[in-house]
Amino acid sequence: MFAYAVRRILISIPILLIVLTIVFILVRVAPGDPARAILGDYASQEAVDALRKRMGLDKPLWEQYLEFLWGLARGDLGRSLISGVPVAKQVAYALPYTLELTFTGILIGVILGVPLGVYTALKRNRLPDYLGRTLSLAGLSFPSFYLGILLMLLFAVKLRLFPTMGGGTPGDPVDRLRHLFLPALTLGLIMTAYITRMSRSAMLNVLNEDYVRTARAKGLHEAGVVFRHALKNALIPIISVVGVYSVVLIGGSIMVEIVFSRPGLGKLMVGAMMQRDYIALQSIMVIYAGFVIVLNLLTDLSYGLVDPRVRYR
Amino acid sequence: MRRFAVLALIVCLGTFGAFGAGKFLRIAFDAADLKTLDPHLAAATMDRAVVDMVFNGLVRYKPGDISAPFEPDLATSWEVSEDGLTWTFHLRPGVYFHPFEGYPDGYELTSEDVVYSLQKAADPGRSAYAGEYTGMTFVAVDKYTVQVKLEKPLPPSLMLPKFADYAGGFIVSKKAVEALGDEGFRTHPVGTGPFMFKEYSPLEKVVLVANPRYFRGKPKLDGVIVYYMPSLSAREAALETGQVDIIEGPPEQPWVEKMRAKPGVVVDTFGPGECAVLHFNMSKPPFDKLLIREAVAYALDREELLYTVGPDIADPLCSPVPPLLPGGLTCDEVGPLRYDVDRAKAKELLAKAGYPDGFSIEVVISERAEYLIPMQNIQAQLAEIGIDVKLKVVDHSSMHTLIRQDVNPMVLYVAWRPNADVFLTRFYHSYSIVVTGKKPDTNFSHLGGVDADGDGVIETIDPLIEAARTELDSERQVALWKEACEDILTLVAAYPLYIKKFVYARNPKVDYGYELKSTLALYPQINELTDIAG
Repeated sequence: MFAYAVRRILISIPILLIVLTIVFILVRVAPGDPARAILGDYASQEAVDALRKRMGLDKPLWEQYLEFLWGLARGDLGRSLISGVPVAKQVAYALPYTLELTFTGILIGVILGVPLGVYTALKRNRLPDYLGRTLSLAGLSFPSFYLGILLMLLFAVKLRLFPTMGGGTPGDPVDRLRHLFLPALTLGLIMTAYITRMSRSAMLNVLNEDYVRTARAKGLHEAGVVFRHALKNALIPIISVVGVYSVVLIGGSIMVEIVFSRPGLGKLMVGAMMQRDYIALQSIMVIYAGFVIVLNLLTDLSYGLVDPRVRYR
Repeated sequence: MRRFAVLALIVCLGTFGAFGAGKFLRIAFDAADLKTLDPHLAAATMDRAVVDMVFNGLVRYKPGDISAPFEPDLATSWEVSEDGLTWTFHLRPGVYFHPFEGYPDGYELTSEDVVYSLQKAADPGRSAYAGEYTGMTFVAVDKYTVQVKLEKPLPPSLMLPKFADYAGGFIVSKKAVEALGDEGFRTHPVGTGPFMFKEYSPLEKVVLVANPRYFRGKPKLDGVIVYYMPSLSAREAALETGQVDIIEGPPEQPWVEKMRAKPGVVVDTFGPGECAVLHFNMSKPPFDKLLIREAVAYALDREELLYTVGPDIADPLCSPVPPLLPGGLTCDEVGPLRYDVDRAKAKELLAKAGYPDGFSIEVVISERAEYLIPMQNIQAQLAEIGIDVKLKVVDHSSMHTLIRQDVNPMVLYVAWRPNADVFLTRFYHSYSIVVTGKKPDTNFSHLGGVDADGDGVIETIDPLIEAARTELDSERQVALWKEACEDILTLVAAYPLYIKKFVYARNPKVDYGYELKSTLALYPQINELTDIAG
């Protein structure tokens, strides 16, 4: 398993390299000028040119590219063109907020989604099943920012239970939780929709298996059949869907951070995009890419934990 | 039982942790984060707002009214020498900088700080406004006296704005900049203003606290929290739920109407706003022909455009320099050069120019509503006389780059400039012609570089601009500027559309402490008089 993990990590290096080359090119292909963005349209061309030079944007592209790679190789993400703050520092500040948000979202999704999926599978083609399937289809079709605004209107504007903005006071866990609740619920509900559907179909598959009939035949009570025998075998596809959709959730978290005015990688990225902060943008994209690669790896490794038949070679 | 416990938990979480202690005014801007709080670099609205609260200039615009005479700020008085080449500013004694590391009580502002600050503002590597101070030298005569020496005399109308509470005129603490470095200063500004920088939470907010030693008296508020909230719906929700007191709005009519209809919300619209002007590229067909530009001018209906943009947030603009500034012209003064809509005449002119069936052009335009909506209306209006405008919508930053590369046959530009000289120089002086000018800037029409009316001579208003710049008699100066405006309109180098005001919504409990008509700070200025009732 260890050798497998190492090999997977090695394979992801060329993938990462391709991703960051594309990112490097993409952020620069769009017209727009970070120096102009920071100085505003009133600034004289001289001032803009001086700033471009100081930012190193007058250097040839290949030189900037090599600098970027060399920096990454040394673990240096560069300095934001706009604020001058090291990107690593910005990311270190924003990342916990994003992690806290996505992981709580996934957690809510699993806690709500798996039981709901099992339940609808057991009530197949009856009212709870139809209801569950309709709701989860609605969940799949909902853009995260829209759901976020709806939840905000209901819980924050009408009921005044939760704040609509900010990440909470650092060092005050209760306040952090209050600020986390609605954004995490937004992501969690979307995740619930995915997981419910997947758990339902995985459960339906195994419920028809011989060993389930055998378990029933030998007189096990229903809970034992469902949880010990059926669910355990349905877990592999469920875990893989959690893995896959966690990646989708990271995308959703960008919009949710904007809607709820939370600090985080998404807000950092959108800000960097609007201001053409090439350095911050490309480094944040690298972090996101790394995120996705790690998540996929963790998903693959977790198969072995739930299914002893899976071997890593 | 368990369900009840969960509910109870939710309610508990909801009730605790509301923001307590002190009278803090909270204002939310349309931005993901700050860019820079260095006053000599700050250009965006949310940054200028913080800068405005933290710093002072030598003189200041009257809060809420930029057309009033300048008031003393850090300088109590000023005078100019006989030859007009030396300006002397007398500093207010007993003004203290905000505390910062190493100076827990701040220190007294002296001429040394002022000279340092102005030199920084004049340095193109450390300031976006260096061009304003070319050819000036700054001398500390004694502790409380600063002299500015000029190469050529400047009238007060052009001199004082450079030393006011705007852009390069803000006075920074020399010791703080040296201690923190230029980079550090960007996120830790130290000035003399009513509010002091306290802390910055990246991507979220900046907290300012009242300066108890402010020379105009201790502020009524205990502080100001500036939030960065790029989502409009989030800002609305935050205002409605009382989590913030003032929000930046989009300058759009439907939004103004929607917010006005809400109880407990007041919408403020104020000037000077930004001038929307359509510039014609006279260096290439089809707008190299005067007849065609006149045709377009007669085809456009300002009233219709105003209606589209919104009567609450826009006033008609008929002159390249807005009438609010000395040298500008009102629509009445412009007279026939308003080119009141007359589409029959427009078609006639088109036919005379050899395009009886019109023509087709492609125009790059920003995706921002303030650009896209008026441009779509222009597109519809020009279709009436057979001109087919194809819009290529790009993001805002891209548009700013592309129009400076001279790709557009016509450019819609929405901006404010501090005075007639800057308006005319940056948009109509030959030096400022995009790409090919000596100091390429925002002269999109190429006025001064092309034969605009086909008489074989290159038309230019450079001499008028330059003469006005050094004209010490303010009446003659204004006359020169007005003449330049009329020339621009006669040649139809540009067609002024409207002046768009700024839009903010607030809790009615907020009392700015002055009458808000216009401000260069781009936000409803918060100062020592601002208060929240209750």
